[in-house]
Amino acid sequence: MRTRRTLMTALAVTLTTFGTAHAQADLEALVEMAPYRGYLAAHAGLQDPPPLLGGPVTVEISQDGGGVFVGLPDERELDPDVFGTPEMPRAFAGTPGINGVPPPARGIEGGRYTEMKTKSPFGDAHVTMGGASLSIDAVDATAVDGANSDDRVSFQATWEDDAGNAYAVRCCEMLATRGVEFPTFGGVVTNHVLHGSTRIGTALMPTEYVYFAFWGMGEVLKNGEVVAAPRLVHGMLTEYVRAEGYSLASDREVTPNRTHFHLMVPPMRPDMEAGRFVHEDVPTGFTLPNGMELPFWHVMFENLDVRATRGGGTAGR
Amino acid sequence: MSRRGAIARAAAGVVATLAAAVALTASDGGPSVEPGALVTMVGVEFQPDSVVIHAGETLEWRNDSKLTHTVTADPEKAAVSEHVRLPEGAETFDSGNLAPDESYRREFAVPGVYEYFCIPHEAAGMVGKIVVKPAK
Repeated sequence: MRTRRTLMTALAVTLTTFGTAHAQADLEALVEMAPYRGYLAAHAGLQDPPPLLGGPVTVEISQDGGGVFVGLPDERELDPDVFGTPEMPRAFAGTPGINGVPPPARGIEGGRYTEMKTKSPFGDAHVTMGGASLSIDAVDATAVDGANSDDRVSFQATWEDDAGNAYAVRCCEMLATRGVEFPTFGGVVTNHVLHGSTRIGTALMPTEYVYFAFWGMGEVLKNGEVVAAPRLVHGMLTEYVRAEGYSLASDREVTPNRTHFHLMVPPMRPDMEAGRFVHEDVPTGFTLPNGMELPFWHVMFENLDVRATRGGGTAGR
Repeated sequence: MSRRGAIARAAAGVVATLAAAVALTASDGGPSVEPGALVTMVGVEFQPDSVVIHAGETLEWRNDSKLTHTVTADPEKAAVSEHVRLPEGAETFDSGNLAPDESYRREFAVPGVYEYFCIPHEAAGMVGKIVVKPAK
């Protein structure tokens, strides 16, 4: 039971932490307080969202061979620049883990937050795997969230474990044209700051400049067989957010003049009608040293070939 | 000059030429000479991260990880300029991408302290140091 709990997402653990019906109500209130609710409400029904200023940006990213870093469940050190202090907390609202971190889920020592009490996909623990490849062909054409989008993503990533098992993620026949608790800019966004203090995406990742990002529904494969679909897939090319020993950087440790690509298949699925995320492990098929199955994919590619052009199409609609 | 002596000198010249060629090959990454020391690339670390050799010796780096790495001492390619240090008169160097199991060798002629890094993993702390002492 304890082992199982350590691998549950922040949401489930926070429910455990809160425990009572009263606490459950508090959690629901926290989810309802996701900071972009009003913004999303203004855009959700937009049938003809405006185009990107200056015209569409076409992005191609690839990695041919080499390895990847695969994130493992770990406790995340809580950056005061993002999470504030026990007296003045920040970044607590929204579905825990994929958005904010509720104060009861935060460790405190000496009047400061220490780390999240439970494990999440966002920490220092990792393994490396070989046999990697990455291929992305995408267009950022639509500026804002809406019911429709001209954005497009063709994504495929593969890697292999030491036992020779091949893992892959493909995306996106369907893009997240609008976000659930934070905006997705039509499904693709370029040249924007995300995560951390922006509250766009989990605050457990540092505040980072993102050259390209997407959110869509895709499929997860093991040895050529689809093991989960449709699953929320998020990818982004960012400035470098790992520090000494490949620890996940705090905001002050970000390296602006290096890049890497992150793939995330979270243990959550979006509930569009309820406007929140719901816990659901990803059956990755990769076994952790403790015998449990890794319940998400968080994979970093760092030997990249990146090409992009802007304004290749019409700017107006 | 005796014929034997001329042949000996000619042979010595050939040997010297071959040695120079070998040294050149070695500095370009060839496998022709025994290295003075071996540095392995494991995860995001050079192991050992600091080595001592003598001028004229060759250092070998071997990528024992699953990742692609570089061995780079070029300030123009560094995210943090302090990660590169070269003695006066020494040239910059860059192995280019080293896939898993690939190696890179370089001969060090100029004594002094060198500091270098891996381009993709510099920010993750993958940096190393070479102390080149005067030739034995």
